[in-house]
Amino acid sequence: MSDRPSHRGTLRIGSGRRVLDLPLIAWLTVIWVLLWGTLSWANLVNGVLVAVVVCLAFPLPAVDLGLRLRPLGILRLVACLLYDMYSSSLSVTRQIFTRGPLRAAVVAVPLRCRSDLMLTSTAVAVSNVPGGSVIEVRRATATLFLHVLDADDPGAIAAARRSVWRTEELVARAFGTAEDIALAARPAPEEEQSP
Amino acid sequence: MNALAETADLIGALLLFLGCLQSLLGVIGMLRFPDVLARSHAATKPQTLGMLLVLAGVALRLRHGIDLGTLALIAFFQFLTGPVASHLVARSAYRTGQTGSRGLLRDDLDPQLSDEEQR
Repeated sequence: MSDRPSHRGTLRIGSGRRVLDLPLIAWLTVIWVLLWGTLSWANLVNGVLVAVVVCLAFPLPAVDLGLRLRPLGILRLVACLLYDMYSSSLSVTRQIFTRGPLRAAVVAVPLRCRSDLMLTSTAVAVSNVPGGSVIEVRRATATLFLHVLDADDPGAIAAARRSVWRTEELVARAFGTAEDIALAARPAPEEEQSP
Repeated sequence: MNALAETADLIGALLLFLGCLQSLLGVIGMLRFPDVLARSHAATKPQTLGMLLVLAGVALRLRHGIDLGTLALIAFFQFLTGPVASHLVARSAYRTGQTGSRGLLRDDLDPQLSDEEQR
């Protein structure tokens, strides 16, 4: 399998063009077994076969994501997200039942990390937490545009931006490379320029 | 052992109830909020938390290894796909100008989009 002449479709795993992505195959197999709901050799073997066929039929471009899995960071991220979801869904509940003048705002939040993975996972994490939903992402400047409910409250916009930056740092410590973590640990780009 | 199982059942039932309540709140918010963008707040997020609570409740009642894995998988995909859908809705709502009759208090995105159109 290692050194056959490489043309399209060969199973070259190694230094050259990687056709079969082993972590991806493992992940697909795990999903397959979980969906069937029983761990047996038949399921496992079928899962691997299906995963290999899927990877060959729908080849993905080889992308270096720069993904690192840091268990401690992931635990911290999950704990903080759960707490955020709980506390801010209380505040969304309050907004639902106070029939006040709800005026929203669209706020730009420049991120400190530039990698695609950090941008994507920060956006996903932010939009799972009530209080700000992402309506636009600028990849070139790594900027998220958030829709913030209840922007009448003077502190709300600043608070939303601070919470995005905090989420970014947590995400970097969970999935980022050392470089990402160093970037995310810097002070926030420009604190609130308008009054 | 039996007492433990009963406690788990009870907590599971409680979590199921809380999860349903949370999802109900999301629906009420959707009915009460005025425009698409505000509604997408109420439609997507309380529901994600509600879903997590329901899954935790179900997990406490099932208490079986591989079922827990399947539930974790559901939570993972819920967490990953929800934002994509809500982002697409919010993005098209914003671009078609459905930002509510009272307008936005502050808008950082509009100048950037206008800049691009001029170029």
